[in-house]
Amino acid sequence: MRIRLLRASIIAITLGLASATAIAGAHQYRLRVDGLACPFCAYGIEKKFNATKGVKAIKIDINTGTVTVTMEAGGALSEAQARQIVKDSGFTLGSFQTVPGPAGKAGN
Amino acid sequence: MLFSVKTPWRRAGHALGLLALIVMTAMGEQAQAAPQTFNTALPVAQGEFVFREQIVLDQSGDDPSVADRDRTAWALVSVLGYGATPELALFGVVPYVDRTLEVTDGGMRQRRGARGLGDISLFGRYTVFRRDRPGRTLRIAPFVGLKLPTGEDDESDGLGRLPQSVQPGSGSWDAFGGVVVTYQTLAFQIDAQASYKANTEANDFEFGDVARLDGSLQYRVWPRELGAGVPGFLYGVLELNLIHQDKNRIGGSDDPNSGGLSLFILPGLQYVTKRWIIEAGLQIPVLQDLNGTGLEKDYILRAGFRLNF
Repeated sequence: MRIRLLRASIIAITLGLASATAIAGAHQYRLRVDGLACPFCAYGIEKKFNATKGVKAIKIDINTGTVTVTMEAGGALSEAQARQIVKDSGFTLGSFQTVPGPAGKAGN
Repeated sequence: MLFSVKTPWRRAGHALGLLALIVMTAMGEQAQAAPQTFNTALPVAQGEFVFREQIVLDQSGDDPSVADRDRTAWALVSVLGYGATPELALFGVVPYVDRTLEVTDGGMRQRRGARGLGDISLFGRYTVFRRDRPGRTLRIAPFVGLKLPTGEDDESDGLGRLPQSVQPGSGSWDAFGGVVVTYQTLAFQIDAQASYKANTEANDFEFGDVARLDGSLQYRVWPRELGAGVPGFLYGVLELNLIHQDKNRIGGSDDPNSGGLSLFILPGLQYVTKRWIIEAGLQIPVLQDLNGTGLEKDYILRAGFRLNF
């Protein structure tokens, strides 16, 4: 009984640590894209970011012009890289910041 | 008395038109919100494609002459654009047309027409000014292009060579250019365009040059309040087209029954999502100050879609 309990505890702790590591390793960035004012144009930005190596997910909020980019564990997005992607999409990068919190990580 | 045209050119035109549509549908990846009767200055992302399909029914009648002419022109217009750089976009426009003309001649009603691949246009648009702000943008983009004589321009039927107005192609190389300005916010979009098309002679016939001023207002009517994410926008659309055409020239002389000034208004709707757009509008003549017995337009119906995939 004790062995089973111990085994279950070890598995739970291992999984918990792995999960925490994955979250901590997933960098998230919040960009403000200036000039974005219609849904169809938003798709072009989404497509460009999704084609970028290391990008795990992207979320666009058209009302605020905010683009939230989540990177794969260990991945990073530089401001210069984001500026170029936004420019290639036909828009202007207004601001760039790293999201603090469980899915984010300080610095870029 | 009904006449129809059946030539190898016409069959080839069908096949080419279909092929062009298939190729364009396969290549199309992205499009943008834009007016229904002219272009926009909104961007085409670098390395990406823009695809748009529009069906157009152009109905003319109300003939002041005894011929009681009635012209019906259908067109399936496919547009493919490519973002060469963030500023330079290249476009190809391929029309597939079906035109018929009914006239009364010697007490008999005649129906003549042809269909096939029309004249392809190629043009480039370069954004020379861009001011982006949160939720809004202002852009100015001149464009210049060429209409190629790809459509059949020598169709005939049992009565002889078809009139130029129902030939699928003009046979001429025609240059055009202009400038388009777009101001877009989350609530509305305004586009304005000035353009000129210099037509040249072919088959001893020359269409008059065309000068146009176009304006468009797209106003978001739904949703009234924007939430999170990227919701679909329903736009109410209002467009104006002021068009002046010089007289056609036949055999080097002006045709007194051609050319003139027209003003159209187009009320319409456009539903825009992240992946697709559907749109429709009815272009109605407000003013038609045509020369001689020039045939007046009744209406032009436009409907189409754009896809992102």
